[in-house]
Amino acid sequence: MEIDALSMRFGGLVALDAVSFKAVEGAVTAVIGPNGAGKTTLLNCISGMYRPTSGQVSFDGHNVTGARPERVARFGMARTFQNLALFAGLSVLDNIKVGAYRHGQSGLLEGALRFGRARREEAETDAAAREVLDFLELGDAATMLPAGLSYGQQKQVEFGRALMQRARLILLDEPMAGMSAPEKSRMVGLIRRTRERFGTSFLLVEHDIPVIMELSDHVVVLDFGRKIADAPPREVQADPVVIAAYLGD
Amino acid sequence: MTTLRSSVLRLLCWAIGIGFVLYVPFVLNTRTVFGYRVGNMVLLNLGLAQVDLMLISIIGAVSLNFLTGCAGLISVGHAAFFAVGAMAAAAAGQQLGLPFAATLIAATIAGAIAGVIAGLPSLRVRGLYFVLSTLALHFIVVFCFAEYQYAFHDVAGVTMGDATIMGFELDNNVKWYFFLLPFVVLVCVMLQSTLGLREGRAVLAMRDNELAAAASGIDVRMLRLKVFAFSSAIASLAGALQAYYFTSVSAEIYTLDTAIQFIAMIIVGGMGSIRGGIAGAVVWLLLPSVLVGTTVELKVLPGGVAQFLVGHQPQMVNLTFGVLVAVLLITAPGGLAGLARSFAARGSRQGSGV
Repeated sequence: MEIDALSMRFGGLVALDAVSFKAVEGAVTAVIGPNGAGKTTLLNCISGMYRPTSGQVSFDGHNVTGARPERVARFGMARTFQNLALFAGLSVLDNIKVGAYRHGQSGLLEGALRFGRARREEAETDAAAREVLDFLELGDAATMLPAGLSYGQQKQVEFGRALMQRARLILLDEPMAGMSAPEKSRMVGLIRRTRERFGTSFLLVEHDIPVIMELSDHVVVLDFGRKIADAPPREVQADPVVIAAYLGD
Repeated sequence: MTTLRSSVLRLLCWAIGIGFVLYVPFVLNTRTVFGYRVGNMVLLNLGLAQVDLMLISIIGAVSLNFLTGCAGLISVGHAAFFAVGAMAAAAAGQQLGLPFAATLIAATIAGAIAGVIAGLPSLRVRGLYFVLSTLALHFIVVFCFAEYQYAFHDVAGVTMGDATIMGFELDNNVKWYFFLLPFVVLVCVMLQSTLGLREGRAVLAMRDNELAAAASGIDVRMLRLKVFAFSSAIASLAGALQAYYFTSVSAEIYTLDTAIQFIAMIIVGGMGSIRGGIAGAVVWLLLPSVLVGTTVELKVLPGGVAQFLVGHQPQMVNLTFGVLVAVLLITAPGGLAGLARSFAARGSRQGSGV
């Protein structure tokens, strides 16, 4: 995925100012920066929640700038949200199954009449969703509502929904926020294993610096909507500009 | 052992339920049970005509629950879709001379088209503004119905043709009952089925979190229109059935009050579940009659109070419904279906605990 001179203005506020970088296929790219640096805005622009003011987002050879979220998702990009965005009225298993929507074809009427295609798709989805649940080690929670799970587990369910989309690139908006230390290491393990098994690329926004150092191949640093660094984690850690942005001049 | 016993028990419950549903129309029609005459109070002051109307209302309530409870779109335009169905059936049957079955199909298709048009504002407006757009729809449709009625029919009403299917004329309540029952079952089974499959699940997801649904590849705007078409097609079918049942309908019967009653039904029964729609329609349609019957028969109360109750029957019915809706909204937002579910959960927990 490549981002070229992406800008986003809300009225007079410049949330993103000509940001360009590349998320290499198969790699984990992290976006960090102080509060209000425009990290979530960046994810929203990429995933189609916002229409950027100018610039271009290309993904897998397609220009997806300003495309609606469902179109972006169909190109093979999934995302999770900073504040949980699960379907409260659906069971954990059904939450995950929703991720398979883009692989199916059958509509409401076919479902109502129980056409062969609708039943076949459901059987495939069910098998795949149970596999994802086992992968998350949440098999016992299949029939529970998300509200019955811990915060960390709910974040995992959201991650599972993204997995179910079989996306090439997964955008993670603060996947570790609000998690306990063991939950964090579980999440790191999940991201690692996903990458090994499916070759998925990740773009994550995160505040937890040790996690980023451990997990990412490449780090992009934003400050006041501008990119101030774009390098492997070790170099970024030593960059005086980055240190100044975090600690103040 | 226990699984065998519970499955036998379930089979027995089903058999009794089906037997009851099949026998009830004869009981209400002849006012006898296995040849023995029974009093009006035993039958809860109910007649078969009320039950037939209830079946039509179940179709209406269930389709509204699909739209409002499952897809999260509140609409006060549901009576309008009944009118669309009646209009389409009248036009197909009276003007074009199509047979009864074909007019029902025409009404369903007309309802789907009207539903897509009614759903168009949902692409741009949300919440209260959308509700207002369905309100506008209601008045537009009722206006069109009145114009249609005056132009092609009588001022007194649109007279429907005979409801005859394959040479079999639906000319009494028992026949209507057995004609309507399969429709009710079919509609409920179909909606229940689709809710458990791909796009039905997407409908529920869209209701719970629109952004996350879109990020999962669901075209939320398109899906809303589809749900609208689906729901109003079913409502239109119910409207056509109702028109034939009444044999004649006029614009005045499609009131905003009717539309709001459908909303009340799904609140009482439980939002977002098929059972909720059924339970709501049953209670809403049958309770008035039961209440009126019991107030008449109440001889235990002192004369003055009984006299007052008998003299204020409509008010009593309204009061009861008002209290019912308020109490359920506060204590059981899941409606009667939600209450039943939580009782069942408690029962099974106690059962497994022993």
